[in-house]
Amino acid sequence: MAPSALSPTSTTWSHEFDTVRREKLFRNPPTDHSPYPLLQAAVAPHIESFNAVFEKDGLLAQGIKDIGTQTFLDGDDRLGPAGKNKLEIKIKDFYLEKSMLPASNKFSTKNREIFPAECRERHVTYRGKFSVRCEYRVNGGDPKEFVRELGQLPLMLKSNKCYLENASPAKLVQWKEESEELGGYFVVNGIEKLIRLLIVNRRNFPMAIERPSFQGRGPAYSKYGILMRSVRPDQTSQSNVLHYLNDGGVTFRFSWRKAEYLVPVMMVMKALVETNDREIFEGIVGSAGSKGSENTFLTDRVELLLRTFKNYGLYSKSQARGYLGERFRVVMGVPDTMSNYEVGGEFLRKIVLPHLGNVNVTDAQNNDKFRMLIFMTRKLYALVAGDCAVDNPDAVQNQEILLGGFLYGMIIKERLEDFIGTNLKLVLRDWIRKNPENNFTSQTFAKDFPAKIFGRTNENIGGALEYFMSTGNLVSPTGLDLQQVSGFTVVAEKINFLRFISHFRMVHRGSFFAQLKTTTVRKLLPESWGFLCPVHTPDGSPCGLLNHLSHKCKILTHACDASAIPKLVAELGVVSTGSSSTEESVVIQLDGRVLGFCTPKQALRIADTLRFWKVEGSHNVPKELEIGYVPASQGGSYPGIYIASAPSRMIRPVKYLPLDSEDMVGPMEQAFMSIAVTEPEIISGESTHVEFDPTNILSILANMTPFSDFNQSPRNMYQCQMGKQSMGTPGTAIRYRTDNKTYRLQTGQTPIVRAPLHNDYGFDNFPNGMNAVVAVISYTGYDMDDAMIINKSAHERGFGHGTIYKVKKIDLEEGGNKSRSSKNIKKLFGFAPGGLIKAEWKEAIDEDGLPRIGRRLGEGSLICAWHTVSSDASGKLVNRDGITHFEKYKETEECFIEEVRVIGNENGVEPAQAISVKFRVPRSPVIGDKFSSRHGQKGVCSQKWPSIDMPFSESGIQPDVIINPHAFPSRMTIGMFVESLAGKAGALHGLAQDSTPFRFDEENTAGNYFGHQLMKAGYNYHGNEPMYSGITGEELHADIYIGVVYYQRLRHMVNDKYQVRTTGPVTQLTGQPIKGRKKGGGIRVGEMERDSLLAHGTAFLLQDRLLNCSDYSKSWICKDCGTFLSVQPTVSAFAPKKKGTGVVRCRRCAVRAEAWSGKGEIWEDGEGQRWVGGENTTIVAVPGVLKYLDVELAAMGIKLKYNVGP
Amino acid sequence: MSREAYTVPTTAPNLGRDQSFSSEGPAVNYLCGDCNSKVALKKGDPIRCKECGHRVLYKERTKRMVQFEAR
Repeated sequence: MAPSALSPTSTTWSHEFDTVRREKLFRNPPTDHSPYPLLQAAVAPHIESFNAVFEKDGLLAQGIKDIGTQTFLDGDDRLGPAGKNKLEIKIKDFYLEKSMLPASNKFSTKNREIFPAECRERHVTYRGKFSVRCEYRVNGGDPKEFVRELGQLPLMLKSNKCYLENASPAKLVQWKEESEELGGYFVVNGIEKLIRLLIVNRRNFPMAIERPSFQGRGPAYSKYGILMRSVRPDQTSQSNVLHYLNDGGVTFRFSWRKAEYLVPVMMVMKALVETNDREIFEGIVGSAGSKGSENTFLTDRVELLLRTFKNYGLYSKSQARGYLGERFRVVMGVPDTMSNYEVGGEFLRKIVLPHLGNVNVTDAQNNDKFRMLIFMTRKLYALVAGDCAVDNPDAVQNQEILLGGFLYGMIIKERLEDFIGTNLKLVLRDWIRKNPENNFTSQTFAKDFPAKIFGRTNENIGGALEYFMSTGNLVSPTGLDLQQVSGFTVVAEKINFLRFISHFRMVHRGSFFAQLKTTTVRKLLPESWGFLCPVHTPDGSPCGLLNHLSHKCKILTHACDASAIPKLVAELGVVSTGSSSTEESVVIQLDGRVLGFCTPKQALRIADTLRFWKVEGSHNVPKELEIGYVPASQGGSYPGIYIASAPSRMIRPVKYLPLDSEDMVGPMEQAFMSIAVTEPEIISGESTHVEFDPTNILSILANMTPFSDFNQSPRNMYQCQMGKQSMGTPGTAIRYRTDNKTYRLQTGQTPIVRAPLHNDYGFDNFPNGMNAVVAVISYTGYDMDDAMIINKSAHERGFGHGTIYKVKKIDLEEGGNKSRSSKNIKKLFGFAPGGLIKAEWKEAIDEDGLPRIGRRLGEGSLICAWHTVSSDASGKLVNRDGITHFEKYKETEECFIEEVRVIGNENGVEPAQAISVKFRVPRSPVIGDKFSSRHGQKGVCSQKWPSIDMPFSESGIQPDVIINPHAFPSRMTIGMFVESLAGKAGALHGLAQDSTPFRFDEENTAGNYFGHQLMKAGYNYHGNEPMYSGITGEELHADIYIGVVYYQRLRHMVNDKYQVRTTGPVTQLTGQPIKGRKKGGGIRVGEMERDSLLAHGTAFLLQDRLLNCSDYSKSWICKDCGTFLSVQPTVSAFAPKKKGTGVVRCRRCAVRAEAWSGKGEIWEDGEGQRWVGGENTTIVAVPGVLKYLDVELAAMGIKLKYNVGP
Repeated sequence: MSREAYTVPTTAPNLGRDQSFSSEGPAVNYLCGDCNSKVALKKGDPIRCKECGHRVLYKERTKRMVQFEAR
């Protein structure tokens, strides 16, 4: 039955159960490819983006080109460059190895690979050695090369640096992975982490922005700007902004290494190319005689722009570059040997629109930059004049995705740049200072440089990336042109499979927007159609910021080949000059490069022609190309054709009507296209496209909600949340996983009612709930308020039975010596030899000091034993104190030892220093556990009702679950009724029911379809049935709606939540109960609870809660002074030392007992002083904090006086 | 097995956890995480499979009777 090479594993699925087929796939995992290609496609953007970094001529190779050659001079820093030796260094190449054992391990001869499963089991990072080859030359002499190792980089699973890449399911199972292992994440310290997809501004597109904060940049600054996020080939970006000044001027703003700089745009233009004022004027306005030149608003301002620049007296390119170079010499950090002109060139290369040329910039590229700046200026003036609308940065139209792999590559590039730049500079300077007799030409330098000098730089790039992955914090001198510094990574939790897969489809807007007070960024905009799922976003604080990709949406990870476009466009009649009037000419751009101009009429024709070719696949126009045609309008978006071929774009498939074939559409072009949702909606002459399926707009999870089009929309959102919280099946390789906490549903089933996508994504491998017979009836009253009654017999048959697995790593050398030298072993597992070993200890713990597998643990049970150890003269480890220490199980809940792993060291030497214990906590459903259907209808189990007392139908069916009819009217989850109906019919006929939304309409209703199925099975068309009370046996007065609904058990269980306290620990300072469920604390009776008790007039209860059960304390007080602080117990030589005299006096009211002067009793304080008086003291009951407040105020010099009553 | 009998330390003697077979204590059997062979280790022995050098060992299920009240 094993699939042979002749019959490749089929990858097509229907909505059927396919029980036998799945069983066969389970028994014999395919040896060719996965049967679920859609699952692999869902994580593809992550893996491909990582691959793009390290592949041949990949992003890192591009990055190294961009870093270029670094030049250093020896000798005194303060002196000029004359007579100094020059050292040039560059990175030639880099190597990233797969995960391997270190060379120091001599014991593994067969398998030296470290597989991801081992990393999970050993709680370490899956990483590979990273090294670079550097080349250096002194004074332009012969190049010399050397290789430096830069630590170990965390590797993405299933990437091109992972063993699992292209592995067949059979191989994956052999390597202890899931048969459908997805990859796309990293294993860091045994935890699965992934880099979030982040939304950023669309690249290489001049975006019109109106931001009031721009006005704060200077006196003349207006709120208008044109923002261009320019992206280099290595995917690092540099934002350039043109600001409009109220006097008509324009400045160019950029930020460099987190500092902002402003330059007049004229200066940048003049530095780029040899030009003159007329060329710039005509470039912005249009040639003389064109319509644009009649626009006096524009001509006035451009004239002013040109005029004000005269003050600088810079006319030629060399003058402007020299000027810029002089100003930015320090900022750019260039060597002294460079002339000002060269520094200016460097400035233009690195900062000004680097997407148009960032290495070996040619004159043509500089001209492109110039033309782009001209265009941006033109758009800015149009924006100010109101001829063009602002572009919404919150719309998907103007956004793209920052992929995890790209970010990873950006960080590595930046680290490398620092490594041979600033880092090396400091070390070299240090070396020169220490060895003043040597210089770059000396022998010592040649010897020291590759090893010693580099050894002192911060070489551990691998460590830096591991830090990034484990914390999600970005430590960067440039900020990488991003708006946040933390929250880049998340844990890929495997609570169930839906949760896991959702992580990879998740897109975050950026944590910067999370703090924003305005809610505009969270809005669901029509532009998102088909790219971001409108349903699948959490409610609460991340609502609208954390979105999920629609299941058909792809993200490009490689640029498509657009090399034919400029020629094609030229042939279609594009000219090189245009006018500022958009009625006359509109721009055509390719990836932020101005290709030329044409009339608006021509533009439409060009866009249509290109699209036809693109879908047809002719003329070398790739299908992934985005042809953003923006039509001319009255004050709308700035018109033109903006063609994009770059990666990071979202695209999705739709049907192109003229050719009746698939077209890939991007968010930019979609906004100006007419795409019909269904065939009947096609408007002849207007619609160019039609959706393949209306469900394409939904995410994977939203597609799993059956009949979601019948539900009120928020309910579908709730289901997307609850689907991710349900106790399901995290995977089939649970045995080899060491997640801190995993949930598992023992009795999972495949839903009877499901969409075909359920099978396409292979969700039957990871069941997430159970089919339950659900009656909608108010029975016994225990189903009030979203409670549900579970049939006790169903419970006993295993309904909803689940398990929690918890893993605890017990590390003997925790926190201490990370260097792991075998000499430093201080502890060993096991009973201390020679010490006392009690029989009960031996009962609990095996001879090796580890727990016995299968043993039951309760609160305080011993988990393992260890003892201290130190080496004796012969190097043997001996225990000297004979004391055995134990690790204890602290939780109250009973559990069992499932697995014990002894974790060895990478080097293969070293006794057991860490073990990882997996505990199994059985969790059968109890009253208070949470369940939900797939329609956002959650409820709490309120009673396990005996089967004999449950209502039954005429055919003898009893419900497994009873829910209250009141759950429906306000929530309007009609989908649940339909599911119930479909489930019932499916169960009766043995059918899997297709529940894809948008399949029924007013003519062919779902109720009718499934009603007839029910009728065929001999049941009521409407799904209602007469039922009989299980208690009295009488027929109920109404027919009861009963059917089969798929129920999920949610992970929120009372056993993790309940909190009770009578007495318990209190805080030292105030004497009030501590908080926290773990520590046995109480629940706060807060302000609002207090108000409620006050309002009810329950004063006694209030006192009980706030005083008696809290910090009630008795205290001595002096009635005369009215203070707690002055009283003190008296001391007597005759009274017992411990008890004291029991008499308390006020020191403040007392006077010294001199001879026999005073009257009254004489008392003695602790120091032996004798006093008289201060007798008017008493005991009062006060809250403990009151005394604390008194002391605190006294420390500030404020006295509290209490009037003590009778 | 033969390989494990005695290997001449090739690098500087790692002041030996390796050879310090603290012979005290009984050997306990573990299962190798890679080749599933039985590995008998005594206290203080380095953690690795004697056959393949794998670094994760599983403890075997206890031979004792495990009986709980089924309720």
